[in-house]
Amino acid sequence: MIKAGASGYGEESYPFRRDVWSRPPVLESIIVQGLIRGGVYALLAVGFSLIFGVARMINLAHTCFYMLAAYAIYYLANRLGLSPALSVIPALVATTLIGVGTYKVFIDRVREHHVTVLLITLALAMVFQESMVLAFSSEPLGAPSFVSGYWQVAGVKVSYKELLTFGTAVVVLIGVWALLTHTRLGIAIRATAQDSEVANLMGINVSRVLLVTMGIAAALAAIAGIVVAPMWSVEPRMWTHPLVMVMAIVVLGGLGSVKGSFIGAFVLAFVEVLVVFIRPEFAFLRGPVALLVMVVILLFRPEGLFGVAFEEERL
Amino acid sequence: MFRRVLRDFQGDVLAIPGRLIALVFLVVLLIIPAATSQPFVLRTLIFANVFVIFAVSWDLLSGYTGQLNFGHALFFGVAAYTSALLNLRLGLAPWATIPIGALAGVTAGLVVCLPALRLRGPYLSLVTLAFPLILLGIVITFTDFTGGEYGVSGLDRISSSRTADYYVSLAVALASVMIMWKLTDAKSGLVRTGIVFHAIREDEIAARASGINTIMYKLLAFAIAGFFAGIAGALHAHFLRIAGPSNLDLTLSFQAIIWTVFGGITSIYGPVVGVYVLYPLMEFVLRDIAEYRFLVFAGIVVAMLLFMPEGIAVWIRDKMERECPRCKLPNMAFRKTCRACDTRLY
Amino acid sequence: MLRRLTYFVVACCLVVPLVLSACTGEEEANVIKVGVIGPMQFVQGEHHWYGATMAAEEINAAGGVMIGDEAYTIELIKTDSNEILNPADAASAMEQLITVDGAHFAVGGFRTEGVFAMQEVAMDNKTIFLGCGAATEELCTRVAEDYDRYKYWFRVTPFSNVNLVSNSLLTLGLAGGIMQKGLGLPGPLKVAIVAEKATWADAMVAAYQQYIPAMLKMEVAGVWRPSNTATDVTAELTAIEDSGAHLILTVLSGPVGIPFARQLGELEIPAASVGINVEAQKDGFWEATDGYGNFETTLNTYAEGLAITEKTVPFFNKFMERFGQTPTYNAGTYDALYVLKEAIERADSLDADAVVSALEKTDTTTTAGRVVFMGKDTKTPHDVTYGPGYVTGIATQWQDGEMKAVWPNLGVGEWEGITYEGVVMWQIPDRVIKAYTGQ
Repeated sequence: MIKAGASGYGEESYPFRRDVWSRPPVLESIIVQGLIRGGVYALLAVGFSLIFGVARMINLAHTCFYMLAAYAIYYLANRLGLSPALSVIPALVATTLIGVGTYKVFIDRVREHHVTVLLITLALAMVFQESMVLAFSSEPLGAPSFVSGYWQVAGVKVSYKELLTFGTAVVVLIGVWALLTHTRLGIAIRATAQDSEVANLMGINVSRVLLVTMGIAAALAAIAGIVVAPMWSVEPRMWTHPLVMVMAIVVLGGLGSVKGSFIGAFVLAFVEVLVVFIRPEFAFLRGPVALLVMVVILLFRPEGLFGVAFEEERL
Repeated sequence: MFRRVLRDFQGDVLAIPGRLIALVFLVVLLIIPAATSQPFVLRTLIFANVFVIFAVSWDLLSGYTGQLNFGHALFFGVAAYTSALLNLRLGLAPWATIPIGALAGVTAGLVVCLPALRLRGPYLSLVTLAFPLILLGIVITFTDFTGGEYGVSGLDRISSSRTADYYVSLAVALASVMIMWKLTDAKSGLVRTGIVFHAIREDEIAARASGINTIMYKLLAFAIAGFFAGIAGALHAHFLRIAGPSNLDLTLSFQAIIWTVFGGITSIYGPVVGVYVLYPLMEFVLRDIAEYRFLVFAGIVVAMLLFMPEGIAVWIRDKMERECPRCKLPNMAFRKTCRACDTRLY
Repeated sequence: MLRRLTYFVVACCLVVPLVLSACTGEEEANVIKVGVIGPMQFVQGEHHWYGATMAAEEINAAGGVMIGDEAYTIELIKTDSNEILNPADAASAMEQLITVDGAHFAVGGFRTEGVFAMQEVAMDNKTIFLGCGAATEELCTRVAEDYDRYKYWFRVTPFSNVNLVSNSLLTLGLAGGIMQKGLGLPGPLKVAIVAEKATWADAMVAAYQQYIPAMLKMEVAGVWRPSNTATDVTAELTAIEDSGAHLILTVLSGPVGIPFARQLGELEIPAASVGINVEAQKDGFWEATDGYGNFETTLNTYAEGLAITEKTVPFFNKFMERFGQTPTYNAGTYDALYVLKEAIERADSLDADAVVSALEKTDTTTTAGRVVFMGKDTKTPHDVTYGPGYVTGIATQWQDGEMKAVWPNLGVGEWEGITYEGVVMWQIPDRVIKAYTGQ
């Protein structure tokens, strides 16, 4: 038993740290961290994949909606003083509107030219980034948490925020799946993704479907930004790394396959987390390693894990 | 004989507005050092010349063969680092390190081409995106060898004065653009590559069916683009006297695309115009409004893409020139009849 | 013919963006132009500008700089180097500052790669450049290698990164000592090193791995290298907790410093964090970490109520009052301008070589301590001298929303009896106390 020191922490003896385990719970930590990151990436990747499947469009500004929503939460909670819970809806709505508006004004008219779409979304991403720099400066900011505290499970500490993120991702993604498989709108979306000409002939309003899909994708990205803002940091360049990861995920899963994106998100998230745990001195390499995995998989299966070579099946 | 050259000149160059402008522009570029002694202006132009080579090489690869390369900075960076390390560690002179750097660019091009052969469209683009990022990770890992994020600095100059540097860059740029132009010219009787590249872009299966070995030509495209992007990279390293991770940056790859599409894709003069308009714009004009620089730049790009998606040079050229329907000769747009075959131009 | 003329005119118009030469400023009488060059979009560049502005105004109000019998006013030229995002831009910016704007002197700089590039340009033009941001030793070893070329470079702040190792180890010793005594921890303490993946940190990590066991008798539990722009380090922190570390020694300068501190607090990782965390030097840190960055300790230069010399508190208060922010070490441009003024007056001329010789004789009191530049015969000439009696730097800890100076202090972890007025006791983080005592 150890005697306390003279600094006034009590004269009774006390034991070692209560929570020291005999074996550090590395595997559990990896699983938990992988699931949480995977959830965030899945939210982003599914939206990106939807847009590609339906509009055949690679939207390089997709993760910018993630950034805009994060800034919106920061602004509403820190600058205007609203409570975090109240800020969610305005942030979500505003970002979705910006997403749909951007599509309508800038992208819709050049939809046919793929290179132009790529570039215009890239330029728009730069516009969004620089606007945030001008409005909020380049310094990293933090939004206040929705919930604080953490939960200890199997020797791993999971903050409630991380649980919220994961829970939100799961709920939202189930909602998207339900939307796509059980509603008329969902069927219209899938039909347009499979063959937009025939869908048009069948009476589906293709341009309306495109607009709605864009809105759903922006909303998904916004939700990701909202849950991430209090967890990670908010800064004008926060959209670049997720964009690269999302593209790697979507390619890995098979472009246009929502199921593929979902699974790919978790695969690459686990790759990232494994790098940090197994070789912590190479933690900074987690992005490049995930990309390397993507390249290798594409070498052996060019259409990705779930993309079918003839691009028939999408879900 | 001199009279014949003069007459050819009058017919083939002066009569066609596009070529006349190009000639005037070239003359201006040649005499600029006499007009201004500001080292800053020359510095900007030197880099513009370097980036012209870079952008044109992108156009050759992506514009002409249709394989959109999102990681063109890989060739630039590989060559920059190679020539920098050769110069610093082995003491080789720039006139040796630059060609070797370009060869390293060729190697990088072939390495990227291998997976690219199996892929199409967006998959290909995204894989090309991955390569420079992976290399960046390797560069940062082996800091002792590559200098980490500080890069390799203290390289030799190319020549002893800013003006000489300028003329070197201009000469290399001119030569490179000319060669790449010839290689992509569909009407050339000398080399087949031009028309084959067009064919691969338009319909690869038909090209294969016609007996063209598309795999070889794709490799060739990557190799040529890698070579010239490598020249640009090595030159850049020696002008700036430093080669660093920013040479592999995502934004550099995107710049090549922006410059080319701004000027006009699948035309060699497009990227040239794109670079010479946008790069000095960013450096000179927009420096006064430093915070808004990138915003204005991005805004210009968006506006251009919405209203002139074929590129500004192509748009201007279409306004100035018209092709004769019968003999296919370019003519000034205002003419009523073709200057060669006298057919009515509409 | 008219058409050809039109096309010629069009061609010339296309050339306009190229031939835009800025006007060379006329030489005004009795004005000393000092360029303040830094990343103006970021707090480092802003503070370069603020510090320099305060000094220039004070000097001009007090009569300016005396050369012979004539009074010269200082005119500052604000230049954005954009070095954080693109070091190549920094070189162009420096060139424009010197050749187009006509600056006689330059102060500032922050990011090492940018400063290397700017240094080259300044040396090409034989312009005196006073560094106020980059700590890399090599910037000054160049002066030793090629004195005639690089002699125009002097570093006013910060001191060389080699000394950052000493200060970090001393702070670690202080914190470890207080923790061991306060919590009655037996045996050697375990230290986890968290260093962003960056070249400047590599040498420091290697040094720590050697000196922590040798000098402090502590164990290194592991080395984690996140990317300096990482937004999430919960994986690293979980692994650190699993390793049983009591202390974390940080080497962080990038934005990762914020999620690191925040997640450390939120997850109540039972380890105290000391070292270098540049984000924790900024006022915005508290809000950015939502208060969870409490107890974060970092090396620093200024703190409220801290009086290193008689100039420190007046400078600090005036800066705070005028700009509403705590000055970072980049605001040392204030000191740089005074050092420059004294040197110009000592040399009685604006000639670069004369001022260089005068600068070498500098021995003056600034806000950060006593500034003397190291001599030609040392390994790093023109570097600011570090050590007791000269410039030592401090460490600050966030305590309930305020940055307090906690090192150098007397008592546990004392260093050659050095302390300054305004230094308070370092506090053990609540989460650590809770983990070890259950309270």
